[in-house]
Amino acid sequence: MANDKVKHIVVLMMENRSFDHMLGALRAKNPKIAGLTGNESNPDTNGTLVKVQASAQFQGQLENDPDHHFPGVDLQVFGGAQGEGRVANMQGFVKSYFTQANDVNRSHAIMNYFTPDQLPVLTELAMEFAVFNGWFSSIPGPTICNRAFAHYGTSFGQVGMDIFYLLDPILSIYERMVNAGRTSKIYYYDQQSSTMEVVNLLKNEPQVFATFDQFLADCKSGSLPQYSFVEPCYNDHPGDDGGQILASDQHPDHDIREGERFIATVFNAIRTNPDLWQSTALLIVYDEHGGLYDHVVPPSCTPDGYVAQPADTGTGMPFAFDRLGIRVPAILVSPWIQRGTVVPGAEDPAQGRIFEHASIPATVTGQFLPNFDQNNKRTVREKGAATFLDLLTDQMRPDDDCIVFNL
Amino acid sequence: MPARIVPVPKTPRESYNPDRRASSLLRAQILHLYEALKWHVAEAQALMAINPRRLRTEREVSEYARRVSRVLHPHAAKRQGK
Repeated sequence: MANDKVKHIVVLMMENRSFDHMLGALRAKNPKIAGLTGNESNPDTNGTLVKVQASAQFQGQLENDPDHHFPGVDLQVFGGAQGEGRVANMQGFVKSYFTQANDVNRSHAIMNYFTPDQLPVLTELAMEFAVFNGWFSSIPGPTICNRAFAHYGTSFGQVGMDIFYLLDPILSIYERMVNAGRTSKIYYYDQQSSTMEVVNLLKNEPQVFATFDQFLADCKSGSLPQYSFVEPCYNDHPGDDGGQILASDQHPDHDIREGERFIATVFNAIRTNPDLWQSTALLIVYDEHGGLYDHVVPPSCTPDGYVAQPADTGTGMPFAFDRLGIRVPAILVSPWIQRGTVVPGAEDPAQGRIFEHASIPATVTGQFLPNFDQNNKRTVREKGAATFLDLLTDQMRPDDDCIVFNL
Repeated sequence: MPARIVPVPKTPRESYNPDRRASSLLRAQILHLYEALKWHVAEAQALMAINPRRLRTEREVSEYARRVSRVLHPHAAKRQGK
């Protein structure tokens, strides 16, 4: 059922960081947050146990991009075990990172996590609004297929970065919105950064794209679409005025602080327009874990009807899209959310709720497209995905009870 | 009482490194862009093969204009017929 308080949903999808890496330390501030105890460990290739450490650096520690392709994530989740009956144990992260640089000492960096004072923006938002203990990437694999779940509720059988073409009548959330006379935009940062949501959308629905400057202008003028998807800057490049534009996506090895500033900029753009602030739900979520350690075993899930063949998975085994990827940070922001809300996940078998990127089109469709043909144009996976607008309460927090960032 | 203001640190200028080796993500992105561009090139070539002087009806002219405009100005909004 639609939530009448919400006129806009904004999704900001960042890149390649796990829940424990970014938010794991918050367990010490709020025990309900399913972060780190400090005793979690992984063996390295010498068999030495490597504990998690609060030693993550803003930049320079992950110059060798941690493996987050399907076989690499399989090693991280199953610790190298093969065959039927193997059990996920989250013990293969250090071994996996060793494969990137063949350096035992460097491989330990995959267990590092940030302290709250290093990430003031993400920390404040997690503590002030709602943090999800159980939001998982949709596939134990890389960016493109995971982002596809945010747009289509499926990756059409892909588990990698390949270009894919739509053979099925499953519409993107943007096409659903436009076809129904609703408004929707993908805001990419600028032309040099461009978009990750390419071939199909760029070819077939170019009118749904705009740049981040337009997002800021639309927030200011009160003309934001009903559904907006915001992309950070994906690379360092010169600006048109010759200045420096830094990547803000937080993909290793981009400086984490620039991503913090980008998140704060998106938040402030909504926060400083009073009408927009009280009518918008902002979801900040990461596309996948980027090869970085998380201690929670990904749960099983409803298959989406596709099967990736062994040649595509690279593991020698097919994948039926029946298991989620690794847990990622996700925070829902709205003045209708009470301070310190923690959405329980897999750690709470009775009350826990599992979210993944198919939850995004499921929520947007449920909110704005109540008459959408659910039988033919959505996957079973999306139809069964948990939605998140019920986290908004009937009590709006007063303006002076909600933070503003000083950039 | 005014809203609490949270300071956000600036990113140091020395973090900027456009000569950093592009990640597998960025290299995949440009392949996707290349693939999308192929469609535009193919569509432009198909349109160049049409002699516009031979178009006679408003239906033919409007369809030609639609396809050319889509290449030249892809952000134009769709309009519904009456």
